[in-house]
Amino acid sequence: MSDPTVTQDLIKGADEPTASPVAVKDSRRSLWRDTWDILKRRKIFWISLVMLILFLAMAAFPSLFTHKDPEYATLAKSMEGPSSEAWFGYDLQGRDVFARAVYGARTSIVVGVLATLATVLIGGLTGVLAAYFGRWLDAIVSRVGEMLLGLPYVLGAIIILGTIAPAQSNPGKVMIMAVVIIVLALLGWPILMRIARSAVIQAKHQDYVQAARALGAGPMRIIFRHLLPNSLAPILVYATITIGSFIGAEATLSLLGIGLRSPVISWGIAIADHASYIRTAPHAMFFPAAFLSLCVLTFVMLGEAVRDALDPKLR
Amino acid sequence: MGRYAIRRLLQLVPVVLGTTFIINYMVWQLPGDPFAGRCGQRPCPDSYVTAMREQFGLDQPILLQYWNFLKNLLTGNLGTDFNGVSVATQLADAWPITIRLALMAVAFEALIGIGAGVLSGLKRGGFIDNVVTISTLFLLSLPIFVTGYLLQWVLGVQFGVIEPTVSDAATIPELIVPALVLASLNMAFTARLTRTSIVENLRADYVRTAVAKGLSNRRVVGVHLLRNSLIPVLTFLGTEVGSLMSGAIITEGIFNIHGIGGLLWRAINGQDYTIVVPVATLLVLVYLITNLLVDLLYGVLDPRIRYE
Repeated sequence: MSDPTVTQDLIKGADEPTASPVAVKDSRRSLWRDTWDILKRRKIFWISLVMLILFLAMAAFPSLFTHKDPEYATLAKSMEGPSSEAWFGYDLQGRDVFARAVYGARTSIVVGVLATLATVLIGGLTGVLAAYFGRWLDAIVSRVGEMLLGLPYVLGAIIILGTIAPAQSNPGKVMIMAVVIIVLALLGWPILMRIARSAVIQAKHQDYVQAARALGAGPMRIIFRHLLPNSLAPILVYATITIGSFIGAEATLSLLGIGLRSPVISWGIAIADHASYIRTAPHAMFFPAAFLSLCVLTFVMLGEAVRDALDPKLR
Repeated sequence: MGRYAIRRLLQLVPVVLGTTFIINYMVWQLPGDPFAGRCGQRPCPDSYVTAMREQFGLDQPILLQYWNFLKNLLTGNLGTDFNGVSVATQLADAWPITIRLALMAVAFEALIGIGAGVLSGLKRGGFIDNVVTISTLFLLSLPIFVTGYLLQWVLGVQFGVIEPTVSDAATIPELIVPALVLASLNMAFTARLTRTSIVENLRADYVRTAVAKGLSNRRVVGVHLLRNSLIPVLTFLGTEVGSLMSGAIITEGIFNIHGIGGLLWRAINGQDYTIVVPVATLLVLVYLITNLLVDLLYGVLDPRIRYE
């Protein structure tokens, strides 16, 4: 089984910066080690991990799951229900619903992961810098964040996307994905900025930071070797859950007609295309919706399992 | 308290100005033709574009445009949409429906969310607790439109318990299912927040004192525990009223409700920016003002909090 090693690598990777060169082997009972010990006893963690691997495999090698071509359409079979040859039936254009659901995983996960990555980079960096340097930088970053948070999420995305990629326009495949990722990150970073900021403000006055400063460490060294590793836990948890909610947000925007659109294959588009045929062909909409919900569930579950394990209050 | 309120109000000013400026700038100034698709399949003639630009003041410098927008907003003059219908009339027709929907959603959040949270928090690790934890996990993972279409299909199409779409009158019984859909996500959050709060407060000294005094279980929970535990929950419910408004865009679109959200949904699809800008501005204002009110209410609910 490959799953434990994957996570161990992840945890080891996160562990390295905290372990000082003088640390003895016995004293390596770091936060991450404790977390792992708790995590591996949790059923919900293993369930979400298996689901995660399944979805990642689907995104990377969709042909493993279906031999059908998601673009191949037989109009004669339009909206035919599930049968033995097409488990999930056919959609409006007579394309295989299962094949399109499998191929849709890649788009949704790529959008979710990249948007989260951008959010973590922008939000984490601004948050850490604002908290470390304080003063005017903190004031500006906090006010800009407040302004963006003052815009309800869906509304903000609607305003931006509705103007740069209105419903009737037809931008290219890569272009529209990039635009959606940028919009999600643009509206999402303030929350992460706040998390990173408060984590760093708490850590800033700890003795080990004072000690590092007394030893002559510069701001870069303090931020990257001391503050960041110790503020990583809340950021990591939030990021995992955010991947899930961004996947849901992408589908919501696609449903409104201003997010992704054909020829991109995604769950949101499949749902949007068949929303008006819900009476005659519910299968064309519910199977992609089920994939979407399961995928969001996977990330939310994983994030919650990690958060519970990291939370010292529950120990 | 008074001084704190004034300071918070003053802090609100730059945020309101900034957000409304972003909305205006985004919609009118970004590359892309705001009048595209106004003339059918062919591009609009130059004379039409010039006339429209003049009518909506797009030929003026951006700061002047923004100034005019603010002035119009404050005097209640919201202008007309591309079809010449007054935006203010459309808003006046739509507001009551959305407010009704949002209030019902908040009521569901409070009743079901707090109820489930209290029951699961009091018996941590018990059967009800597990049921609540798992069902809230599912609610949190279902995007709001999936819940909406699912209920519409199951209740409306399969079993015929409700009408799949809501009529123009949007009476209270018709709005029950849409309000549940709108509330679903926050209901889960409320339940979890209540549970955490109850679990934490159960260990508090004042609860132990109340029990030691020999008070009945009912009084300990109902008077001492609930009052203190519900403060963060009420704050959450309050701050989320504003975001309910933007959730209403999806819900009203699905159930074809003619409220603010539905208005915005149709304006986006029809690319009518004259409606998008004032509606978005109003939604943002509602969001910010409810947040402010909740912050002020916090001090009233929890006397330990003092505003300097």
